[in-house]
Amino acid sequence: MRAGLLLFFLLIGNLYASAQDNYDVSLISKDLLPYASAVVRNNEVSVEVKDYDNTLYHIKTAVTILNKNGNNIADIVVWHNKSRVIKSIKGIVYNQFGKPISKFSESDFEDVSARDGFSLFQDLKVKHYNPAVTDYPYTIVYEYEVKSKQSLNFSDWEPNSTTGQAVEKSTYAFSCKPDFNIRYKEINMPVKVVTGINKDGYKTYTWQVNNLKAVKDEPYSLNEDKYLSCVKIAPEKFSYEGITGSFNNWKEMGKWIYDKLLASRLQVPGATGSYMKQLTDGITDPKLKAKKIYEYMQGKTHYISVQVGIGGYQPFLAADVDQQNYGDCKALVNYTQALLKTVNIDSYYCIVEAGSRKQSPLSDFASMNQFDHVILCLPFKNDTTFLECTSQKIPFGFLSDFTDDRLVLACTPEGGKLLHTPKYTAPNNLQQRKATFVLDAQGNLSGEMQTIFKGTQYDNRESIIEEAPKERIKSLQKEYAINNMDIEKAEFKQDKNLQPVTTETIKLSAGEYGSVNDGKITFLANATNRTHTVPREIRNRRHEVYINRGYTDEDEIIYTLPAGYHLDMHPNDVSINKPFGKFSATITVNGNELKYKRRVQLLDGTYSKDIYQDLIDFFQAIVESDDNNVTLTKGN
Amino acid sequence: MKKLLLISLLFIGIQHIAVAQDFKEGFVQEEVDMRRYDKDTAAHAVYLNEYGNSRIDVTSDDHIRLIYNYHAKIKIFDNKGFSNGTIEIPIHNSDDVSEEVTDITGTTYYKDDNGLIQKIDLDPKKVFKTKDYKYGSTVKFALPGLRNGCVIEFRYTLISPYWDSFRKWEFQDDIPKIYSQYEVHIPGFWTFNASLRGPYKLTKTTSELERECFTSHGSKSDCSHLVYGMKDIPAFVVEDYMTSPKNFLSAIYFELVEWTNPYTGVKTLVSKEWKDIDRQLKIEDAFGSQLKRKDLMKERMAPVIAGKTTEMDKATAIYAYLQKWYKWNEYIGISSSDGIKRAMDAHTGSIADINLTLITALNAAGINTEAVLLSTREHGNINTLYPVISDFNYVVAKTNIDGKSYYLDATDPLLSFGVLQLKCLNDKGRVISLDKPSYWVELSTLQKTSEIHTLDLILLENGKIKGTITNYYSGYDAYLQRKAIKKFNSVDEYIEDLDGKLPKIKILKSNISNLDSLGQPLGEVFEVEIDAFENMNKAHLVFNPFFWEKRTTNPFKLAERDYPVDWGMARDNRLVLTMHLPPQYVVETPPQVVAFALPNSGGMFVTNFDNHDNEFTFSNITRFTKAIYMPEEYPYLKELYNKIVLTEKTDMVFKKK
Repeated sequence: MRAGLLLFFLLIGNLYASAQDNYDVSLISKDLLPYASAVVRNNEVSVEVKDYDNTLYHIKTAVTILNKNGNNIADIVVWHNKSRVIKSIKGIVYNQFGKPISKFSESDFEDVSARDGFSLFQDLKVKHYNPAVTDYPYTIVYEYEVKSKQSLNFSDWEPNSTTGQAVEKSTYAFSCKPDFNIRYKEINMPVKVVTGINKDGYKTYTWQVNNLKAVKDEPYSLNEDKYLSCVKIAPEKFSYEGITGSFNNWKEMGKWIYDKLLASRLQVPGATGSYMKQLTDGITDPKLKAKKIYEYMQGKTHYISVQVGIGGYQPFLAADVDQQNYGDCKALVNYTQALLKTVNIDSYYCIVEAGSRKQSPLSDFASMNQFDHVILCLPFKNDTTFLECTSQKIPFGFLSDFTDDRLVLACTPEGGKLLHTPKYTAPNNLQQRKATFVLDAQGNLSGEMQTIFKGTQYDNRESIIEEAPKERIKSLQKEYAINNMDIEKAEFKQDKNLQPVTTETIKLSAGEYGSVNDGKITFLANATNRTHTVPREIRNRRHEVYINRGYTDEDEIIYTLPAGYHLDMHPNDVSINKPFGKFSATITVNGNELKYKRRVQLLDGTYSKDIYQDLIDFFQAIVESDDNNVTLTKGN
Repeated sequence: MKKLLLISLLFIGIQHIAVAQDFKEGFVQEEVDMRRYDKDTAAHAVYLNEYGNSRIDVTSDDHIRLIYNYHAKIKIFDNKGFSNGTIEIPIHNSDDVSEEVTDITGTTYYKDDNGLIQKIDLDPKKVFKTKDYKYGSTVKFALPGLRNGCVIEFRYTLISPYWDSFRKWEFQDDIPKIYSQYEVHIPGFWTFNASLRGPYKLTKTTSELERECFTSHGSKSDCSHLVYGMKDIPAFVVEDYMTSPKNFLSAIYFELVEWTNPYTGVKTLVSKEWKDIDRQLKIEDAFGSQLKRKDLMKERMAPVIAGKTTEMDKATAIYAYLQKWYKWNEYIGISSSDGIKRAMDAHTGSIADINLTLITALNAAGINTEAVLLSTREHGNINTLYPVISDFNYVVAKTNIDGKSYYLDATDPLLSFGVLQLKCLNDKGRVISLDKPSYWVELSTLQKTSEIHTLDLILLENGKIKGTITNYYSGYDAYLQRKAIKKFNSVDEYIEDLDGKLPKIKILKSNISNLDSLGQPLGEVFEVEIDAFENMNKAHLVFNPFFWEKRTTNPFKLAERDYPVDWGMARDNRLVLTMHLPPQYVVETPPQVVAFALPNSGGMFVTNFDNHDNEFTFSNITRFTKAIYMPEEYPYLKELYNKIVLTEKTDMVFKKK
């Protein structure tokens, strides 16, 4: 009887298991289908910290690919290297009815070097595979196990960060030996953690989410961490590539980085030190000294990224950079810091998340994986200056749109400090153009224009300036939508001050700029700076409107009109004033001179989602105004 | 022991030859002092000298290998030229053999902060190798100590098991070269054809016989020692709308003609004339043998063509079936190395796997079909003087039904029957079949594409315009438009997106026809409402009849053009606008009625206008009848576009009566 009962339980158990694994596509809730090209049926991520140098990841995913656009979601990608070893990978493909049609295993995977698009070398490889299925929908179910020899970083859990993918169920189960302590941070999570102790006596932390709809791209959207669900985990004590440590906050993390990764890297050869002294001899202002040394570093080095082992976090020795003249952001910042040290100028090695989109680390949760770049900070009293060390041409103290206006962690001997980099405001980010053109009776245009670029617009012309003179002309012809533009002369001047300015002067002519027809000349009033695109309309916008960075564009064109012609028709003046921006375009005529003035200003900030339609209307008004013709008629 | 000695002696001997013609290595004061390159003062770097040497020889492990030595010296004027100090050498491998790079050395000569000459050597530990894909890797290194004005010098040896694809040499690069020289040593057992591409002439060519330069296991032969040199080679500059730079870069290419096995004396004619290639392809496992597997395909295609009677019905059914059956694995090529059976069973394969399946399947169904070898646009043009099999990297089907040929590529499920992708429309293709000699077909004139837009609109009293916009896409445009629609999960999502991108236009209703009927033109009908005029209380209303598709800038801007403009196909775009105005309005200013044409009927832009009371019809045609326009036609093309832009700029004016 007892045996019979046991058998009964086993049977139930089996039934339960197979019901769980039913991948019939018709079982997917209709609510999850809009904007989805794939639906995650079940994703189970289990992380088990067995020891400081032994963490086991077990990932099991079942995902249904609804159509061809979902194929990239079927890509199985597993990173590995010496300290991250793949234990097993296997999987099964199911058809739309949930019937298995094929299997795959590790031998089907291609193993290639990881490519980040800018590194010469990284010691990271990637095994990847995409099953060949042509009947949609289909479901792939795969699982893999990876053993990691470090306990410093645990991947963030982001149950639905992929556009076009909905999620039925996703689970994150973190477990660790009893004496391993963690901090965790729940971001935009609909549920809270469930904690417990498992049968091995390990502490467990589990999160589960169900029925997440597909994320849809929205223009002018907030940073993802403002609306996507995420769990971050950081250890109290850890081991990484043979180095141990512990930290619980930014101060301690900065201290650990300084002590263990940076302090020993700062020596440069004596000769270099003497040369730095010689170079700055006679300069008393420490800021000007720093500028001199920074420019020396820029002239001497160039950016090459090589990432091996601990080298992912630790810079090359300053002495190596001194000899090789190259390095990545870590190495070049460390080298600059070392050079400055030879003339007794203190500086901070600052880690940052770089990119045009401004991204700051969480102020209340310290972890290593919130950064991807390093800059240098000169903590002069009341005049904190930041330096980007990977560019050979960026002006001293200028960060452009790569690391501006965000928090960075300065790693100092006293510990970590969160600092804020300078903000370039909408009025600062100025492009200001003045043109004087002559229009003749055949519609030909000729004249000169001068444009100055400031703030984050300073480097608008950077790639053109790099080109050979002949190529510059071609690029400028593409830059300006002036039909038939011939450039007689183009000159650039760059003032590399703390508020750098680029000045562009162009002498040009454009045959048949105006079209002559029936005694009338028609031409576009805005020859120089036309907007062509309007953000697309979004039905049921979900998120607030976010303008990442503001700018101002001003154009003033004075046309000398051909003799004997007068204004026949011209567009109405436009003036729009919104909380997020201003636009005006005016035409005034004085004798045979027509003056066109245009100003656009976009103000950064976060706005209610309800203003999105206003933003569309704003840009639409600009596009229409930019498209307006002026018509001249012969005679009085 | 004896053998070892022999090989090492041989090695010393060869090194001696190899060094003989190479330029002198080491520091030269004038090179470090050099301030600029007078022939191109804008250059950030220049090759002072470049030398390559290829030979077929026996390596110490007793294999016949192609041994390539490379040596270059580059002057770097400023930091914009520093990228030339990072060297990347792509290498290839098969399942069992691989190319190898050895003996890498590098040195940088520079003036230090105190003006003293210094040199720094490349650390061999700083040479990296990355695995890029199954059959390719890259060996990479960065020269140390770069500074403005430095001179870098580096060498390496590349040993390749693929002696049948003898290394080409590119004289031209994206920085200028003062001198570049290539030497080849070809043992008498091998015969290659050499061909020079590009506009520049060789400034040095010599040939001599080397006595007994190849010895292995008692077999000996003399070598041809050929030297090709070129002086003062300008930097290569890419232009818009050109095909592969390879077509225009100055370079020398080699193609194996025949070889004799040094050990057995067996002679293999690789390529001499097309008839030899035809014969070779027909028996090749990865090509001809696959085309012969008709029985296999007969069986598999039987259910596909069941009930179909005409050849056309059968062909379209087979084509559609295989398009759906296969998922292309992103590999290209003309050989099906694992065979079409394995590819079919796996539902995936290379270009050759899939299209050889198609050709065989069509033939199995009794439809005469040939293979067309071609070179994609990126891969460059074909040498038509003599057969060069490595020129080809793609294969498609040419099926012949009722006296008409259709070119088919089953690797893309959205291509209509008879339409090839733009990447395939390049130069010529070679048609190969099992039962007759091969021949050329012109691919650049193969295809046409067209769009017709019909706008039927009514201007309402409230300032809105209502009506329908109908778009028809045929040929390649239909393919592109289908791709654009299929990017979305459903047609509704496509319409939602399109509607979102047209702020002034509301799409009230829409109908997409033939989205999946690839044989028919793709149709889009939109019922629209346009916010045209805010204020109708005006005497004049300004309207641009080109609003649906307006060209505002001329894509052609150059004063002079060096290379042809190659669009890949002829194109035709028409628009017909019919508009009804409210009764109190008349047309005051009509659109410009123009007719512009390119010489020799190369193309045209024509507009037409017809007005009755408060109704008008405006139409325009833009037509380019050719795929390729030569540099001398460029000014006409530029001027035609100028006229298009000018015409489309002009607005119409409606007047209140």
